[in-house]
Amino acid sequence: MKGNVKSAARKFIYRESTVGYVFALPFIIGFLGFTLIPIVSSLYYSFTDYNLIQKESWIGANNYMRLLHDERFWKSLKVTLRYVLLSVPSKLCFALFVAMILTRTTKLTGFYRSLFYVPSLIGGSIAVALVWKELFSRKGLINQILGIVDIKAVSWFGDQKMALIPLILMTVWQFGSSMIIFAAGLKQIPGTYYEAAKIDGANRFRAFLHITLPGLSPVILYNLIMQTISAFMSFTQAFVITQGGPNDATNFYALYVYDNAFEYYDMGYASAMSWVMLAIMSLITLVIFKSSKHWVFSEAGN
Amino acid sequence: MKVKRVLVLFLAILTILSLTACKSKETDTSADQSGNSNNTAETSSDGEKIVLRMAWWGSQARHDKTIEVIEMYEKQHSNIDIEYEFYDSDGYFTKLNTLVASDKVWDMFQLGGNFPVYLSKIVPLDDYIASGVIDTSNTTDTFLKTTQYEGKQIGISNGVNTYGVAYDPAMFKEAGVAEPDQNWTWDDYAKACNTIHEKLKIYGSSKFDDFVAGCSCGISQSDINLNFYALTNDGLGFDDYSLLTDYIQMRADLTESGAYPDPGAISEIKDIEGDYLVTGEAAMTWVASNQFIALSQAAGRELKLATIPRKTSDGPAGAAIQSSQMFCVSKDCEYPEEAAEFLNFFWTDEEANKILAGERGMSIFSNVTEVQVPDLSSEEVAANDFVNLVGSFEVGEINPVSPEPYQAIEDYYDLIIQKVIYGEFTAEDGAKGFYEFAKSQFE
Amino acid sequence: MNSKTRKVLNRYIYHVLILITGFIMVYPVLWMISGSLKNNTEILNDSLNLIPPHLRWDNFARGWKGFGGTSFRTFFANSFIIAGISTAATVLSSACIAYSFSRLKYLGRKLLFTLMIMTLLLPGQVLLIPQYVLYNSLGLVPSIIPLILPHFLGQAFFIYQMMQFMAGIPRELDEAAFVDGCSKYGIFSYIILPLLKPAVITTIIIQFYWKWDDFQGPLVYLSKPQSYTVSIALKLFADSSSATDYGAMFAMSTLSLIPVFLIFLFFNQYLTEGISTSGLKG
Repeated sequence: MKGNVKSAARKFIYRESTVGYVFALPFIIGFLGFTLIPIVSSLYYSFTDYNLIQKESWIGANNYMRLLHDERFWKSLKVTLRYVLLSVPSKLCFALFVAMILTRTTKLTGFYRSLFYVPSLIGGSIAVALVWKELFSRKGLINQILGIVDIKAVSWFGDQKMALIPLILMTVWQFGSSMIIFAAGLKQIPGTYYEAAKIDGANRFRAFLHITLPGLSPVILYNLIMQTISAFMSFTQAFVITQGGPNDATNFYALYVYDNAFEYYDMGYASAMSWVMLAIMSLITLVIFKSSKHWVFSEAGN
Repeated sequence: MKVKRVLVLFLAILTILSLTACKSKETDTSADQSGNSNNTAETSSDGEKIVLRMAWWGSQARHDKTIEVIEMYEKQHSNIDIEYEFYDSDGYFTKLNTLVASDKVWDMFQLGGNFPVYLSKIVPLDDYIASGVIDTSNTTDTFLKTTQYEGKQIGISNGVNTYGVAYDPAMFKEAGVAEPDQNWTWDDYAKACNTIHEKLKIYGSSKFDDFVAGCSCGISQSDINLNFYALTNDGLGFDDYSLLTDYIQMRADLTESGAYPDPGAISEIKDIEGDYLVTGEAAMTWVASNQFIALSQAAGRELKLATIPRKTSDGPAGAAIQSSQMFCVSKDCEYPEEAAEFLNFFWTDEEANKILAGERGMSIFSNVTEVQVPDLSSEEVAANDFVNLVGSFEVGEINPVSPEPYQAIEDYYDLIIQKVIYGEFTAEDGAKGFYEFAKSQFE
Repeated sequence: MNSKTRKVLNRYIYHVLILITGFIMVYPVLWMISGSLKNNTEILNDSLNLIPPHLRWDNFARGWKGFGGTSFRTFFANSFIIAGISTAATVLSSACIAYSFSRLKYLGRKLLFTLMIMTLLLPGQVLLIPQYVLYNSLGLVPSIIPLILPHFLGQAFFIYQMMQFMAGIPRELDEAAFVDGCSKYGIFSYIILPLLKPAVITTIIIQFYWKWDDFQGPLVYLSKPQSYTVSIALKLFADSSSATDYGAMFAMSTLSLIPVFLIFLFFNQYLTEGISTSGLKG
């Protein structure tokens, strides 16, 4: 009898679903305990007039209706989309390219990789904001270089069409975390695959196409999703460098959310904006996930 | 296996680091405690120490000076322990908002012109003035009014200032332009900008605070009885949007002609030291009177202060004296009387203010300004004289307050000016659109 | 012979190109480091010059003094504690959760995964206040607990990263171990975790840096100057309403780079080593 209970308990403990819940437990606790309530509050605030100081009052879907007529909102959405579309692919290609190059075996690889990683260590600090403004200022280094090849100086932060470019370049420049994730992914591809390919007489390009890309595809998917999300959330670059100007040409979505929440004391409106963003991004992530079934190759199979 | 070893090593390093860090902290605090224990021994008969929390934003000099005054007070009042926090201005307000949301606002906290937003969190000081805890005998009603709202004394100004135009007399002379007088007009300003730009190939003027120049002053300059914001703070104080058109048009024209920096060049101004007047690329700039000192020092050449240009030379000046910031006592404070007592010391004590040295703006207390006089530099004297000059101008009933939606309105004004510069609107349409936006913010 | 010289030449071109690109990449950082040895005028007016005209070491002394009697020694110690504990906690918790999400089958797994991705899609700006109110009502403010506790409960960014790496670990390994009598718990410790090394290392590098750099969290959850982190202290240099001591700020920014860079250097070698046998050959 006792043995039966014991073995039943054992069976329970070692059952796959039990193990699953045990390992997922930290997430479940964290989500229920510390994440869910703030998320629900922000959803609630999005239906209220809330200025952070006085108690909020329910106003139904008013905030969402206001969004429809807010030109600054539409512009920020457009600007952010353009920024995401331009910065994410360039950043990922660059990161992958550098990660590939730096798998070459030389004693200097570690040093080189450090060199390329350093920019990602200074993030959105004031020092970077300063140097970036300096580089792209009217008499800055970039314009001087353009001058050498006889291109007229560009007013980077004064021209509505150009102002996004320094911000995109800054994002691409800080490609370090994507790079090391790619590097780690490359390391995971078994060397035997390449040796086999070599024996089969495949050249380097074919090896890249048929071994590297498929082997790396889960990591590519990961970087694509995370970089898309974080590009949508971009705040620091615009906050420290352009403050959204000129004429809202770099007024990123998250920056406009921040302004509404903390500068304009309109937390209800900011919350509504955030939930619209959640809807948009869910859609985009869903599309990427669905498409990934066709191009992501998993060793673990499914 | 290797991973484990790396991880273990990593964790070990961190534990050691955090342990040593904790240790050093412990010794720090124990030193503090032993330092304080003398005080506690003395006061143990009066019961427990009263802890007051205080916060402000500002520069390193401000932190050091304020802390020195706090320590001075604590020495004199052994039953008071003041815990302080300081931040940069952006961080300060983020922090303040979280504290507001959880009813834990600091007992004494610094606020600027945006104080109406936080009204429900502030204990008015009228009772403490009436009971004499705060001594206002050395100041005037005009000064006290800069921090009143609906008849209540919300706080007391830490220093007052006003806006003006700093200029380089040598550059004016070189370009053959007469120096501005007290009654100069926006037309004079625009002409000076253009002439200087043509003659010296520099900007006539560096960045102006467009909202103050065009709106808060601009409206009062049109009619001495008008204010941009209604005196009741629940709407706008004027109903004719065309009063805004001229300034916007002038700004667009000056940018177009190159006499005023374009939005790109403006964004390159990082701080006072990057101002085009300081760098020698402009002959004028907008300045708050208390910043004139830093501006002159940064420029390293003689600068002078002029009043804000008027709409007509015999019309109202529109300029007003305002509080640069103040300290308030919060509703969450358990010991408001003790807080008021400390603040009284902070505002009116002569020794304390010798340390503070007017870093927050010109004191509104005459006994304080008197003791500060001997240590003033010539620029500080000029700045204080300027405040007194502007204070002597005839004014209507001025609204010194920025009601809650002020930031959204000011940002929108900047945006409209840019849109006019980029040719999306005419100045007239811009003024109209801005007026309607500002009005809608109060609905 | 000919092909040998070509190979050598190729190698030189490779190194030169990388060095040039590398220089462009680190130029802004070099600019900051050189700024740490300049005074304000030299930084603002002579900005293109990378070599400081006078080596102004006093920037470091002035910066190190900190603010209001609290020196950078304290700020660094605080940052170390927070970033260190958070990083270690993230690695452990995220690996467990990732194992659960990617290798085990049970009811609700997909839902949990979707919820996890969803937590990434709301801007932190609107969650800041509700989160603060929550921690405050639990009596955890001010303290470092709100800053580290979430890391014991998994970080979506790294959970998902580890899941993707687990996708690269052949399932046959699990099955073989299972046949040998290894439980699902054992598979995690003996099969998955050791093979997850690259992902663990990237997590350490990235998470440590993120925590080190985080400004908003410490700002909101800490209060006394003695508990400030380096990130808060650096912002104190640049109050927008007054003149900035750029030299001291750059000096401290430079110092604040060192710990994150050392962490990177230390762990990066585990990403590079061994690549010669398993990675691409030139």
